[in-house]
Amino acid sequence: MYSTKYVKPNSTSEALEAIKSLNEGKFLAGGMTLIPTLKQRLASPDGLVDISGCKLDSISDEGETLRIGAMSRHVSVAESAVVKKVIPALAKLAEGIGDRQVRNRGTLGGSVANNDPSACYPSAVLALKATVHTNNRSLAANDFFTGMFETALEEDEIIESISFSKPINANYIKFPNPASRYAMVGVFVAQFDDGVRVAVTGAGEGGVFRHEEMESALSSNFSADSLKSINIASDGLISDLHASSEYRANLIKEMTKRAVA
Amino acid sequence: MEIKNSYELPLSKERVWAALNDEEFLKRSIPWCEKLERRSETELAAEVKLKIGPMSTRFTGNITLSDIDPPNGYTITGSGKGGIAGAASGSAKVKLLENKDASSTTLSYEVSAQVKGKIAQLGSRLIQSTAKKLSKNFFGSFVKQLEDMDKPQ
Amino acid sequence: MSEGIGASVLRKEDKKFLTGKGRYTDDINRSGQTHAYFVRSDVAHANIKSIDTKAASAASGVVAVYTGEDVAADGIGGPICGWVVPCRDGSPTKEPPHPILANGKVRYVGDHVAVVIAETLAQAKSAAELVEVEFEELPAVVDLESASSSAEIHKEVPDNCYFDWELGDEASTDKALESASRVVKLQVKNNRLVPNAMEPRAALAEYDDVSESYTLHTTSQNPQLTRLVIAAFMFQIPESKLRVVAPDVGGGFGSKIYVYAEEAVCTWASKKINRPIKWTADRTQAFLSDAHGRDHINNVQLALDDNNKIIGLRVDTICNLGSYLSAFAVSVPTYLHGTLLSGVYDIPAIYTNVKGMATTTAPVDAYRGAGRPEATYLLERTMDAAAREVGMDPTEFRRLNFIPKDAFPYQTQVALQYDTGDYEPQLDQAMEMIDYKNFENRRSEAAKRGMYRGIGVSTYIEACGIAPSAVAGALGSRVGLYESASVRVDPTGTITVFTGAHSHGQGHATTFAQIVSEKLGVPLANVDLIHGDSEKNSFGMGTYGSRSLAVGGAALVKALDKVIEKSKKIAAHLMEASVEDVEFNEGKFAIAGTDKEKAFGEIALAAYVPHNYPHETLEPGLEESAFYDPLNFTYPSGAHIAEVEVDPATGVVEVVDWAACDDFGNLINPMIVEGQVHGGIAQGIGQALLENAHYDENGQLLTASYMDYCMPRADDLPSFKVGYTNTPCTHNDLGVKGCGEAGAIASPPAIINAVIDALSPLGITDMSMPATPLKVWKAIQDSQSVAAE
Repeated sequence: MYSTKYVKPNSTSEALEAIKSLNEGKFLAGGMTLIPTLKQRLASPDGLVDISGCKLDSISDEGETLRIGAMSRHVSVAESAVVKKVIPALAKLAEGIGDRQVRNRGTLGGSVANNDPSACYPSAVLALKATVHTNNRSLAANDFFTGMFETALEEDEIIESISFSKPINANYIKFPNPASRYAMVGVFVAQFDDGVRVAVTGAGEGGVFRHEEMESALSSNFSADSLKSINIASDGLISDLHASSEYRANLIKEMTKRAVA
Repeated sequence: MEIKNSYELPLSKERVWAALNDEEFLKRSIPWCEKLERRSETELAAEVKLKIGPMSTRFTGNITLSDIDPPNGYTITGSGKGGIAGAASGSAKVKLLENKDASSTTLSYEVSAQVKGKIAQLGSRLIQSTAKKLSKNFFGSFVKQLEDMDKPQ
Repeated sequence: MSEGIGASVLRKEDKKFLTGKGRYTDDINRSGQTHAYFVRSDVAHANIKSIDTKAASAASGVVAVYTGEDVAADGIGGPICGWVVPCRDGSPTKEPPHPILANGKVRYVGDHVAVVIAETLAQAKSAAELVEVEFEELPAVVDLESASSSAEIHKEVPDNCYFDWELGDEASTDKALESASRVVKLQVKNNRLVPNAMEPRAALAEYDDVSESYTLHTTSQNPQLTRLVIAAFMFQIPESKLRVVAPDVGGGFGSKIYVYAEEAVCTWASKKINRPIKWTADRTQAFLSDAHGRDHINNVQLALDDNNKIIGLRVDTICNLGSYLSAFAVSVPTYLHGTLLSGVYDIPAIYTNVKGMATTTAPVDAYRGAGRPEATYLLERTMDAAAREVGMDPTEFRRLNFIPKDAFPYQTQVALQYDTGDYEPQLDQAMEMIDYKNFENRRSEAAKRGMYRGIGVSTYIEACGIAPSAVAGALGSRVGLYESASVRVDPTGTITVFTGAHSHGQGHATTFAQIVSEKLGVPLANVDLIHGDSEKNSFGMGTYGSRSLAVGGAALVKALDKVIEKSKKIAAHLMEASVEDVEFNEGKFAIAGTDKEKAFGEIALAAYVPHNYPHETLEPGLEESAFYDPLNFTYPSGAHIAEVEVDPATGVVEVVDWAACDDFGNLINPMIVEGQVHGGIAQGIGQALLENAHYDENGQLLTASYMDYCMPRADDLPSFKVGYTNTPCTHNDLGVKGCGEAGAIASPPAIINAVIDALSPLGITDMSMPATPLKVWKAIQDSQSVAAE
């Protein structure tokens, strides 16, 4: 790691002030990606603004939606009685991220802002029609993720919380990369009154995406059988040492089937 | 690793070829290009600041043009050193094909990429996606510039 | 005695390890200590045109920057080969120079180009970024099969071939192949592995200009040998002027046998700057520069007669030894591989040819099992392929070809003579443990769930304790393979054992103490073990090849026998009896036919407070040493049976059951043995299903972190059923054979055989390691498209 400044403000407004005073500052949430990157010297920000003191870690049932503070640790989401009651699939997703140490540090907001193409959370955000609340606006999930490691966030914008719509039924199934245990393919299926959403992570070259053909098939008939005739194209899917794009296409369908089974 | 794509442009082949050899055009097309200076007919010095997720590295290196076959195409190769991150190079074979009525040209490219050092050791899962994304950005913005220029003001 | 031989006592060393109080090399610090960081090549193959260290030398905190030129100027040599073999054409193994800092050329990604020594590690790293290296790149040599016609890596190694070696009788083997009623042909690949010890390599080197001597703390499996090699061969200094200590070491699996560049550079530089130097590898450096394991391609031909009896075996192997010859790289694919090709089978004609190739990848050397897993894999895969071809159950085909029980000692056609063994009962027991006879029911039940279930057998043999020194020497070893032990009895009867073996996970502090407890009748708590310090321990050969107990334990018994012999003389004097009448049992010396007895502690006291003592015939004190050179290898064997389920939708292979029945001879601590078996199988499952070191065509290691290199985890493993048979080793006093590597040797073919068995309904007859979900899924897809055609 190169030496860098570290500040830990007590509110988002202080955090925004702090980031403005830096040339290439970085917000530090759980640090589960950023810290290893810094240790490898693959980034050299002139300062880190730790937002863990900004009181962004509440979880509340707000009727139509479940609002989770951006700094909620994965372990908090996994163990939250509210989350387990209202959207148990979300608690299950959080419980399957990384290992215990990662879950004790990693945060919802950090994961979503980073938008790693293999991260689990972006699929929940997209499938659960979530709204991403930042310090100055609210973004629909559909508009939030813009590409691999890319989001609509500005450099000096902080996610404060995310509101998830409550589904009738939801499930997340992950096929982990055997080595890293990141999602090689992760499928989040959420059933709402007005239809089904299927969000796929781990597979798209442009990051998380919705699979509309499966969504409409499942909207008319919420069962694995309705996916039978669907052909998942491998175009635009990630190909690496562990999985070809064809194999990922197969896994997308298979994990979706398992998610609705 | 094989990355191929093509675009159809409502322009003559000569026009596209001229743009392919215009360094201002290239500079605006290279994602995150901070510096581009012509060193010779076929060589340009470049500095690019590449951001992939949390990684942010400045690559310094060269862009060379080879297999030049005006106005049918060339090979454009960029290679740069990213200090501790390692090194990366990408090579695109660009071909221009005039369509039958001469009113449009198809630009096709085939990219091969190579990475060295830490980025290869730690980021292998991202190599192909990144190479695809960068080539798409490059050719996408090149084509867009051409199209924009061609629009009546 | 409940704490003696055969007792599953808890490990004495675990308290410190489990409470985080192990004392590893990196835990040790010295005042005035500096930190080293190595500038490594990020290209696989290149001439070094220039190295500019000016900016780095001037950087903040930098104490020194050295390159290969500085090393050469001081006449410092590189690590040597510990074993060489003659080639078929009579020429010797080609041994190119192995400079500790590259001199003119780099030959793999990770090769050491320069070292930066600074006040802090961060300063050393930052300065390392300022070292400007200009490379003239040369073509990488990665593909093993085309390596001989690729770019020259060393001018001393024509065709990139370090050696071309053979063993066995080619004429009689080829005759058997010609006359066979059936020849089973198979090509198998043994995938390349990265050892991944939990503790990465580290060194702390210091020089004392008063005594003019060096001290090196390092992560070594054999510190005495490290001392010999660095002092005598690399530095050419008196051996007594270098102390090497390997304190607690967190695993080795072979990778810490060898002398590496880093510890040698630190030791050399510690004198130049006259300050201690610390170096610790990070995980990526470990991936890049630890010696890797395996990486063979084997072409096998097995000749059968009309009765399905094996009449001949020919194996042509090419193996990847990487960019430089590591210490025991040559022995692994030759005398630790070719000699095992008879397995547990009676094969009348065997011939093998092995070509050891240079490539621009990290050096390859011994990794848990070292040559024997490769031999077992190709043989056990072939046995299954043959059984399938002739339509026999794989267990029946094996039985038909086992060396019969009454054939021991059995002379193989590949140099070894097995002393004991009895293979059918092992197979019977393993089959019983896994309920082999009802397997087809389980297969059908799984099929109803849409899963393909398969069962796979591996009946293996290995050779441990690596040979009598004279034999090893005749086969090309440049070192002896004996072991040393000293037993120091204190006046109060407590005991310290000094061994030349080294414990880095094996539990010697417990097992060696159990031997002492058994022999002397003293409590385990009274016995301590000192190992790994050249200043304290006698010269020894360290730990690898499952040799510690079979050789080091046997040396300990010899030293203990000397202690008992002397104690009897003291007891005889004290009890005024004749030595012949003294009996020693459970810690007491008694005079036969009387009620006179003396406890061991009383004898110890008399030896050190010799007021009433036979001074005329005996020296005071009670401390004895022994060296033991084994009479033969030991030959553990066993049967492992794996049961797997393959999910055709995802290609995931789940290991659902495992039975292992091994013959390790006598067991000192069954709990520790079981742990060794578990660990070995886990590593074998890693090789068979998960692990693979992948270099791209440019020689870049793409699996250099746990993001891409897949280690086995607890949830990849079933609960193992472990059982034993016992034919005690006939030539060591403990009757032990060694158990450290068996699991890693036996398991890979059992799994792959099980996967192929599972997929056999689809017509699939081959699967390479690692059988990843992608590979298995693709094989299933391809079989279905073939079926559709």
